Amino acid sequence: MTVATTGGQAGGALERSGSSSSLADVVETVLDKGVVIDAQVSVAVVGIQLLEINARVVVASVETYLRFAQAVDRLDITPRNQKGLPDLVEGASGAVGAGKAASGLGKTVGAIGGAVRDAVEELGSDRDRERPRRRRRDEERSDG
Amino acid sequence: MAEERGLFIYGIVPSDVEPTPDASGVGDPPGEVTVVRQGRVAALVSEVSLEAALGRPADLTAYEELLDGTAAVAPVLPVRFGTVVTGPDAVADLLDAHGDRFAEALDELEGRFEYIVHGRYEESALVQGVLEDNPAAADLADQVRGRPEEETREQRIRLGEIISQAVELRREAENRELLDLLGPLAVSGLARPPSNELDAVHAAFLVDEDSEDEFVDAVEEFAEQRRGLVRMRLRGPLAPYDFVSAHQLAG
Repeated sequence: MTVATTGGQAGGALERSGSSSSLADVVETVLDKGVVIDAQVSVAVVGIQLLEINARVVVASVETYLRFAQAVDRLDITPRNQKGLPDLVEGASGAVGAGKAASGLGKTVGAIGGAVRDAVEELGSDRDRERPRRRRRDEERSDG
Repeated sequence: MAEERGLFIYGIVPSDVEPTPDASGVGDPPGEVTVVRQGRVAALVSEVSLEAALGRPADLTAYEELLDGTAAVAPVLPVRFGTVVTGPDAVADLLDAHGDRFAEALDELEGRFEYIVHGRYEESALVQGVLEDNPAAADLADQVRGRPEEETREQRIRLGEIISQAVELRREAENRELLDLLGPLAVSGLARPPSNELDAVHAAFLVDEDSEDEFVDAVEEFAEQRRGLVRMRLRGPLAPYDFVSAHQLAG
């Protein structure tokens, strides 16, 4: 598969990738998808043991609320409709884009939890392996 | 005593598909991927031990990479992860019994790929936006900011709840806009459930290769309009994981 990975951060606003680039992506993409072939379809289906994999279900909870409130703590600028400090706000908002956004993102990743993070690291090393490929026609789709 | 073995089924493909020798499957060590053919259709399979549990990150990655790699060159119907049958005869029987439906589905998927559009809010930009739109939230923000969590727990919970509800409303609106924008450029499109509290958009699209460029351009434009507020990602071309539910055979 040929996939043009155009620079996500530097140039365009859109990050592009082919197959999933993290365990969270893989789980989300493939879990509970696909044609179901069960014992009703074929008596030859064998039950195998599957490790428990749970896609993350988003349910707003008190923890979520407190996390959002912490995000407010991290904002160091006064909302524009408060206190009449337009100049200060204008000056500060320019800085929001890069620095603060990045720290917000880090927080999100942290919240996924240790297990997934470890698994993702393991996944990273797996990806060095040569990827399986398959071709039918002589080769790959032309890709812009 | 020899351990019991079964055949793991990855997906259904047209019978002229050939696996490349380096294709590796699930299991430890990874199984060799082979093809069982029956008439017009075939199944991608590999042997697995029935004694070891599957579902390690490497298994999931191998499954997805094999299917996505296949989808790039031929139509493929992903079979649900974890489907194992007794052996090649069972696969041939399955293909024999449902070959017409599989072949029909594969014809429909010829030259079509799945793309997943996923956008996540930049937290500070999002929270900033909510506080600007919502005086009650801005008020609460003033009360809690810089004060210890223990003293302001009630206000923090109320504030967080307002933000959380605002995110949900924005997410709904963003998803609707995305589906309206990209729907006409895709064969089919559907919203996917959010995978994070900060999700802004999440949807899957089945895209024909003829409209692929136009589709990608539209996603880029959507992303450009949200630069700094939403971190947008486009994944694909992928196997059509979200578009085979109509081909469930039982249940």
